[in-house]
Amino acid sequence: MSQVTLTNVKKVYDGKVTAVHDFNLAIEPGEFVVFVGPSGCGKSTTLRMIAGLEEITSGTIEIAGRVVNDVHPKDRDIAMVFQNYALYPHMSVYKNMAFGLMLRKMPRPEIRRRVDEAARMLGLDQLLDRKPKALSGGQRQRVALGRAIVREPKVFLFDEPLSNLDAKLRVTTRTEIKNLHQRLRTTTIYVTHDQEEAMTLGDRIVVMSAGYVQQVDSPLGVYRRPVNRFVAAFLGSPPMNFLEGTLRRDSGIVFQGAGVRLRLPDAPGLAAALDKPVVLGFRPSAMSERQEGKFQPPPGFARGDNALRLRPKVIEPLGEMIDASCETDTGHRVIARIDAREDFPLNQPVDLYLDMQHVHVFEPGEFGRNLILAG
Amino acid sequence: MPAPATSPRRLTLATSAIFLALVVLGLTFVIPFLWQILISLSSLTDVDLLSQTGFPPVLKPGNYPLVFEKVDFAKYFFNSFFVAGWVTLLQVLTSSMAAYAFSRIAWPGRDKVFLLYLGTLMIPGVVLMVPNFAVVLALGMFNSYWGLIIPGAFTAYGTFLLRQFMLTIPPSLDEAASIDGAGHWRIFTQVILPLARPGLIVLAIFSFLGNYNSFFWPLILTKDDNLRTLPIGLLAFDSTYGRETPLIMAGSLMAMIPPILVFLFLQKYLVRGIQLGAVKG
Amino acid sequence: MIGSARKRLLIALAFLLPNLLGFIVFTAGPVAFSLVMSFTDWALTRHNRYSDTAVQWVGIENYQRVLVGDEAHLFWDYFGNTAFLMLGIPLGIAGSLALALMLTALPAPASTPRRARYALLGIILTLLAVAGTWLLTTPGPPPDPASGSELLLRSTETGLTDLTRYDVARLRSNAAVLAAAAAGLVATSGLAFGPMFFRGLFYLPSLLSGVAMFLLWKTLYRPEGGLINAGLAPILGWIDLAARSSPPLLWHIAGIALAAATVLAALFLVIVGLSRLIHRDSGPASFVGRLAIVATMLAVGLGSAYVLVQLPQRSLLPSGRAPLSQSSLSTVIDRLATDLPSAPPDALRRAAAGLGDTPRTTDAISALTAAAGDSAADRAAVTRAVLDAAPLVYEGLTSGDGLQPPLWLVDARWAKTALIIMGIWAGLGGGTMLLFLAGLSNIPPELYEAASIDGATGWSRFIHVTWPQLAPTTFFIVIMSTIGGLQGGFEQAMVMTQGKADTIVLAYYIYNIAFTDQFQLGLASAIAWVMFILIFAMTALNFRLGSQMTGD
Repeated sequence: MSQVTLTNVKKVYDGKVTAVHDFNLAIEPGEFVVFVGPSGCGKSTTLRMIAGLEEITSGTIEIAGRVVNDVHPKDRDIAMVFQNYALYPHMSVYKNMAFGLMLRKMPRPEIRRRVDEAARMLGLDQLLDRKPKALSGGQRQRVALGRAIVREPKVFLFDEPLSNLDAKLRVTTRTEIKNLHQRLRTTTIYVTHDQEEAMTLGDRIVVMSAGYVQQVDSPLGVYRRPVNRFVAAFLGSPPMNFLEGTLRRDSGIVFQGAGVRLRLPDAPGLAAALDKPVVLGFRPSAMSERQEGKFQPPPGFARGDNALRLRPKVIEPLGEMIDASCETDTGHRVIARIDAREDFPLNQPVDLYLDMQHVHVFEPGEFGRNLILAG
Repeated sequence: MPAPATSPRRLTLATSAIFLALVVLGLTFVIPFLWQILISLSSLTDVDLLSQTGFPPVLKPGNYPLVFEKVDFAKYFFNSFFVAGWVTLLQVLTSSMAAYAFSRIAWPGRDKVFLLYLGTLMIPGVVLMVPNFAVVLALGMFNSYWGLIIPGAFTAYGTFLLRQFMLTIPPSLDEAASIDGAGHWRIFTQVILPLARPGLIVLAIFSFLGNYNSFFWPLILTKDDNLRTLPIGLLAFDSTYGRETPLIMAGSLMAMIPPILVFLFLQKYLVRGIQLGAVKG
Repeated sequence: MIGSARKRLLIALAFLLPNLLGFIVFTAGPVAFSLVMSFTDWALTRHNRYSDTAVQWVGIENYQRVLVGDEAHLFWDYFGNTAFLMLGIPLGIAGSLALALMLTALPAPASTPRRARYALLGIILTLLAVAGTWLLTTPGPPPDPASGSELLLRSTETGLTDLTRYDVARLRSNAAVLAAAAAGLVATSGLAFGPMFFRGLFYLPSLLSGVAMFLLWKTLYRPEGGLINAGLAPILGWIDLAARSSPPLLWHIAGIALAAATVLAALFLVIVGLSRLIHRDSGPASFVGRLAIVATMLAVGLGSAYVLVQLPQRSLLPSGRAPLSQSSLSTVIDRLATDLPSAPPDALRRAAAGLGDTPRTTDAISALTAAAGDSAADRAAVTRAVLDAAPLVYEGLTSGDGLQPPLWLVDARWAKTALIIMGIWAGLGGGTMLLFLAGLSNIPPELYEAASIDGATGWSRFIHVTWPQLAPTTFFIVIMSTIGGLQGGFEQAMVMTQGKADTIVLAYYIYNIAFTDQFQLGLASAIAWVMFILIFAMTALNFRLGSQMTGD
């Protein structure tokens, strides 16, 4: 039995604006699920509906097998960590963590025990008497975590908890949250707009846009097998390259357009889209200067069939790799992340070889389907 | 030891000139009150000499107790404190509850009702005096403490001020408290009120000072001497004993002390409150 | 948003109820009630529980009575008074802004030790000033009572207190020491606490805005024995002396020059304003503001010019001098023997004898100058000698014919000005200044840095950075002061003049009609509504002009 189940959940504001359309998801006990998407995609609204902070327009939400549509947040057995931490400024760290337990009339020694344990786990033991104002951003974040932990809820809800921290702290806290989850094994729903956070934290990722769920899959699943152009574009940094063109039948199926020509592996979805406008997509890391390993042409392809002739314009060295910003003959831009070398030539045509396993073809439009998967 | 950060403390010509101007201007604020003190310590016959000598020939501190003998000044003091205190208490209570409803709960029609509140802020107090007088008369509160206290206990202004203040408290705090298991009354008393404390103090100061100095309403509403607040008592004192300037000055000086004390202890809240009141809704 | 809409509404109502009830009964209801009342003839003297007379619906009769009927002139007079008093508003706002700028420019002493050092320094300086003042002014040991000292001051009112020259010197010394101590304390506190102290000090009158402060100012404004006229008398005396001891032509030329300069400057400002308006460099709002400045400038400049031209024509003398006695006249003549050796003593003595027993100072000066030779230099010397010898008994401002200080609250020509001056004093450091301070502190420092890199300093910095950035604050202040000004002025008039000397304002009118004159609540409501409409119109106008000023 799943821990949290959302069935046909819908949210309409003021009878006009639909924030979430028909959301369906079943979350297993102990699972770490991340909702990710650009701002305004409905991910926070969904989380807040699970928490009971927003009313559900239609559909049902179940927590541990109980329909909670009309259950007050305090009775849903959840705990939430807010983006701005929502620590009570007038209460000490101890009181902040204990407040919820006190309201539940838990005996004092038990409260003490739980708070002390959580504080030890989070390294807050020395700070229990301080007010939130006297804490650093990272410490406040940990108090917010502690407040959720002491409740020992069935579900943790995180609403962009790291977005107020600086880059370095964000990475360490991310690891801490992951550790915590591995220790406590509490079902967790985590909302973020940061795709890197989503990839590193989640057991499963729910990619959302414009109120719709675009894809639900494991981190590598959504990264490697994006079901549509939106998911492909949203995940990965630098983002996936997209070139517009058409599919033709030549020696096999060939993509042509934006100044490039590329033979594609046979796939049923592609055959159906012949002579129609499509969008070619491949990640910067799916390219190499050397035609070896996974960058060799697949069986049946001629040598060089998987090559793109590009003109590097700007390079950004990253250390082991470089990001080369290149142009096709028609001036369309392609970013390539390739092995670094000192004497990389600029403004001269160079052949870069694609890993054909990771080349995608989408229907046109922002949400165009992935034709290779569709087949 | 690191050298302490040096702030620019060069006494430039410009700052010195400004300082000097401020001191001179400051004296024009101090001297009237000094003058008042000197007159209040003069004997009646010396008052006119003061403009020539600048100092009373004979000091008469006995003027102060004399004020209490001539009129029931202690009663005026009590009335002022009693009325201003009750109005303040009730106003803070009702305004903070209303402000909670306006700032923390989303209910249908909220913005329309609030707009109505806001709209009445534009109506001059004088327009309200006449009908309010009729209302108080009809309620049988004329010439009573009730009439002095109750109409002042519910203000749109206080509600507006506290709403502005409460809007600065992040809504996620209520949500966190709600998940923690708190109901509205508990969120109000244990989360919002403690956080809105500076706002409550501001409103309390405004309300207390305003009602302490209030003139028009007690003037039209009180008939009996033993209901008079300080301003009305002073006015009556002046019209009865107007020639006795030292006593008038002693009385008004004493009436000035409570607001000054309030200011000395709470000035940071007051300054903030005035600036908050200017924030557009 | 927890819970259903219905439930939220119920909870909200529970929280709102106490306030809402009061709001309906004492605010919203009365507004509607008042409007209805204004169309009735309701008067408490006629319609009460002891009489059967029914309240009549009279339509717009009340409004007609107020605005166009036989009594309409009352309303317009009182409206004029209100408008006159409101002239203080722009002056007050400008003053508050200047004060806020000064306070912002003053650096706050940073650390507690430095504060303590400043305080110590200030206390030492204060003690030095006090000691110095005392040494300079103290009259020394009292004179031998046997020698009989000259009676100098006598309270004319009761004649109870007699003071010798020594007593007066001693009391004045006390006053001087007190003043020095006050100045020293203000400076010390200013040094130690910086702008914070001044802010508090200037805010003081706003705290006390009430009957107590009005009573204080009523005392200050007393024509005789009030602090203000006591301070003005010597100043007017010096002006008088200057006017008497210099050729009249000089004053004429100065007056005409001032008038010409004022008119030229006003013309220049208007022309610049017009050209900006035509070239759309600035909107009508700033042109209106400019016209207001020009009007104020013309009034002050031409008024001063008139006074300058008039000065020598009048036989001007400071008042406040008693009639001379023959013994004091002989002191004058003794002194003139050394001051004016050229003057024939006999002629002086004859002139003095011809003056009678108690000649007025004016007459004495004229007669003695004539006897001394009648040159301007003689005149000055004689005037000095006479003024020094004349006892300081207050003879009242209505006697004598010198430059008279105004009678302030007693005089219909001056009462409103007196109220304006008091209003500016009381409001200078009040809420307006605090709002300006907040506005100033909200101006991002980068703007000033950018402006100073662009080469803006002083005035141009103010015009191009400070003033535009303050526009929303100023706008808010102007609106609130206008609203306050239109409905204000009742309390001060009630306490200080009892409505005499042409100080009745609209609020006072309403009070009179509603609560003293037959309790005509219907009529009073009508006046209140007319006032409300005026306020509304003014606010709307302000918004129109202001949106051009702040609009971006």
